[in-house]
Amino acid sequence: MNFYEYKIMLVDDEPELRKMVSGFLEKEGFREIVSAGSCREAWNLFDREAPHLILLDVMLPDGDGFGLFGQLRTKSEVPVIFLSARDEDENRLKGLGLGADDYITKPFLAKELILRVRAVLKRVYRIRDAGGDAGLVDLGDCLVNLGSGTVQRQGAETALTAKEYAIIEKLAANRGRIVTIDALCESVWKEGNYGYENTLVVHIRRLREKIEADASHPKHLITVRGLGYKLV
Amino acid sequence: MKRKNRVSGVSAFVYVTFAMAVIFFLTMLLEIGFLILVNYRYSLYHQRYIDGESIRDALTFADGEYRLSEDMQRQLKEAEQWVMLLDGEGDVVWSYEKPEEIGESYRLSDIARMSKWYLKDYPVHIYVWDDRMMVMGRPKNSIWKYNVEFPMRWMRFMANAGVWMLALNFLWILLLSVFFTRKWFKSREEVRLEWIGGISHDIRTPLALVMGYADALGSSENLSDGERRQMAVIRRQSAVMKELVEDLNLTSALEYSMQALRVEKLRPAAVLREIAADFLDDAKEGEFEVTVEILREAEDAWIKADRRLLIRAFRNLFHNSLRHSGQDEKTVICLRMWSEKRWCRIRFSDNGAGYPPEVLEQLAVGKKNRAARHIRGLGIVQKVVLAHGGKIRFENGREGGCVCEMRFRAVR
Repeated sequence: MNFYEYKIMLVDDEPELRKMVSGFLEKEGFREIVSAGSCREAWNLFDREAPHLILLDVMLPDGDGFGLFGQLRTKSEVPVIFLSARDEDENRLKGLGLGADDYITKPFLAKELILRVRAVLKRVYRIRDAGGDAGLVDLGDCLVNLGSGTVQRQGAETALTAKEYAIIEKLAANRGRIVTIDALCESVWKEGNYGYENTLVVHIRRLREKIEADASHPKHLITVRGLGYKLV
Repeated sequence: MKRKNRVSGVSAFVYVTFAMAVIFFLTMLLEIGFLILVNYRYSLYHQRYIDGESIRDALTFADGEYRLSEDMQRQLKEAEQWVMLLDGEGDVVWSYEKPEEIGESYRLSDIARMSKWYLKDYPVHIYVWDDRMMVMGRPKNSIWKYNVEFPMRWMRFMANAGVWMLALNFLWILLLSVFFTRKWFKSREEVRLEWIGGISHDIRTPLALVMGYADALGSSENLSDGERRQMAVIRRQSAVMKELVEDLNLTSALEYSMQALRVEKLRPAAVLREIAADFLDDAKEGEFEVTVEILREAEDAWIKADRRLLIRAFRNLFHNSLRHSGQDEKTVICLRMWSEKRWCRIRFSDNGAGYPPEVLEQLAVGKKNRAARHIRGLGIVQKVVLAHGGKIRFENGREGGCVCEMRFRAVR
């Protein structure tokens, strides 16, 4: 099953908003979208349609989205992303300890909503990202294979150490964006990551020797001074 | 916001204290009035009591016989009083309306007893007349009589305690005033916050539609360049409205201390790098430059803060710098962090035109300046830092540019 085969249920009392969000999802490629305008309607629709993900508004005419979520949890573990028009709801949600999968405050951009939907589906249903090349990072003159933990360059294959692997994996997941040294240290050394900056520099240098044509003048693994690194 | 209608915390406290004091004194007056009334009614009854001296004056002795004036007899009748006169031996030598059960002869012990208590349940008073003794009695159950005796030390203590009790009453009034003032303010704040929350909720849903469709239309290939530009303006301005709504909520929440800070222990160095990286990532290529300089010892500094609010505060500083940067040169933002004793200090500066004087003036007024519209974003920065128990200062650099210096208490 790929992303677009998953059924999404949208619960919001504003028909225009339902129409707009459904339109975004359809444009993105999602084929099965059902929507409801109230708790009661959502409850009935859920049994009939068995959606894979619910986008749930907090304020509904016949009740509270949190209440409906609690009821749904008694019979299903379906992922839920809350849509809310109030900042306080986030605090309330945390206070209730409901354990929703995500939370979006209105107004939101279509891009943001789609990203969140994809991220939740990916996490919950362990979907491999569209494109099918998951695990391969193409850097032009070299190819990093995260599946086997190797770098292929000019016909030669070099193995990555565990630390180098963790670094390149984090950078590849955020390709084109700056990953701070703190975020890198955290993904490599997990807890108590402070104090590893110098060690990180050493690992980065070794990694560059494997992926760059000239490690002294890197073209892919770029240093952003004072902040971190970026994979381009 | 109508500032004129606002009641400050101090004046509300004064009002409530005044009201409580008035209530307290009115209650006291009522109590005193009640006592006076009771006393007055008793005194009306007591007024009819005829003392021994008056009876003595109305009593004559002639031909070996005591005779009481008719006027006095009438008065004694009205007062429901009976009288008997004992001689030096304790024998009754004369009486008026004496009940039958009252005896004719008394010993010293009988006299000692009746002088303090009752005589066969009749409340009596004694009047000593030369070697004789007059006993004046009233009906049973008409007077409560008790012999009271206290040590002098205790009486002195009671006098002092009275003063302390009065002082305690005042303290009690003050405490109640604080309690009621807080309650009053809290309920008012809640109503206000609820109102603002409601308005922002009502704005956000239609705004979601505006932003969503503007975004979708903006990327449509059917639009002309002019239409695309107009769509970009709608997109940008709806983003501004989104920020405004968020700021409105945050400002009111921070202002009324209703924002529950989700405090966690964090390393500001990491947060600063994260914010700077996000801004650089989202900016157009070469739009601006950020330098982050964190001194070695500050790398491992920790503070207790609400991460979301801290990021929000720095975002506002970045936005402010980018919005007011000069058109001619590239904006350079510099973030510097260092540790000083128990404080973790952060300096945010840029190479722009600096803060206008009116902005600095409004920021200097600080928390009191609730309605200042030019400092909305910076006002939030200030409120966030203050809500964390930190200190903040806005100024213009010697060579121009905005400088915002803040400090947070470091924790281990």
